[in-house]
Amino acid sequence: MSFVIGLIGVVIFALLAPSLQLIARARAWPLAPVTLIAIAAAVSHALGVILGALLLPQFQYWDAASIFGFFVMAYVFAFGAVYKSVSLDILLGLVNRPERSTPLSVIVEQQVPHLFQGRIDVLIGGGLVEPENSHFSPTAAGRNMAGRVGQLRRAFGIGDTGLYDFAE
Amino acid sequence: MNMLPGPAQIAAICLSAALPLLLLCYARIIRGSGRRFRLGCLTVIILFVIACIALPGQRQLDDVLGGAFLLATAIMFFYVLFSLLAWGFTLTLLTSLVQAGRPLTSEQWAAAYMQGGDLGTFTHNRLKLLIGSGMVMTTDGRLAPTAKGLAVAQFVKLVRLSTGLG
Repeated sequence: MSFVIGLIGVVIFALLAPSLQLIARARAWPLAPVTLIAIAAAVSHALGVILGALLLPQFQYWDAASIFGFFVMAYVFAFGAVYKSVSLDILLGLVNRPERSTPLSVIVEQQVPHLFQGRIDVLIGGGLVEPENSHFSPTAAGRNMAGRVGQLRRAFGIGDTGLYDFAE
Repeated sequence: MNMLPGPAQIAAICLSAALPLLLLCYARIIRGSGRRFRLGCLTVIILFVIACIALPGQRQLDDVLGGAFLLATAIMFFYVLFSLLAWGFTLTLLTSLVQAGRPLTSEQWAAAYMQGGDLGTFTHNRLKLLIGSGMVMTTDGRLAPTAKGLAVAQFVKLVRLSTGLG
């Protein structure tokens, strides 16, 4: 039964998380989508645990937490995959065209530069990069974050190209 | 209310904590970020199965099931972080700008991101994924989604709608 309580928490989360995203967009809350997911997860988990403690005398916290964690991470995984995936944006761009096909040059010259500009805007909005006339430079926070990312990449033996390595 | 995890769940929690340490060790031995992550996951899954067999006492199904869910949760969690580090577009844009050591125009920034290449190289890299997975095909120099690509696109739209992304 503790697993069922965990699943009830998942249902609460699945309703709460998209509602928060919609409300945040409508009311222009200055909160990142990931922060909203974290809030939804914390609230729904707490509600699930309270429900379990009230309804089940033998409530097993870790049984409920395990299934809750699994489905919430699956949600985060799916959310992350569709949120800002360049590959999926290219695919959706193709599908949304009336003729459902386009020359490669259109993607290279129009769609990808648009995606590129979108990411620059994200970095500027996050206070990590600042525009100076027609140039861009990192802020102190941007340098700090890039330094940490570089340290983690070196520790985990990850290259710094950001490209998929199809040779592996 | 029982807050104590079962033996298999304790093993899963310990293995979850060990996964990033394992990835750190594999960084010195195994080439390729993706392969390294897959091997790290395989290792902790095998160790979890061994723990379920070797731990003293009779195994309870809910304990093992809970442990498997906990381990799967940790694998997905670390995959999200690992993939951001390895293939994150926005993060790599930032690191390339910092590495350049001077203010860049957007064209120079794109070239710095591609380490000498251009946006065409980047586009080809991402398209390789779509073409390789059978979602996009090229005919007469034009790109078009396959039936699989259309199905994936519909699914992506559904996920975006149901997660509040619109």
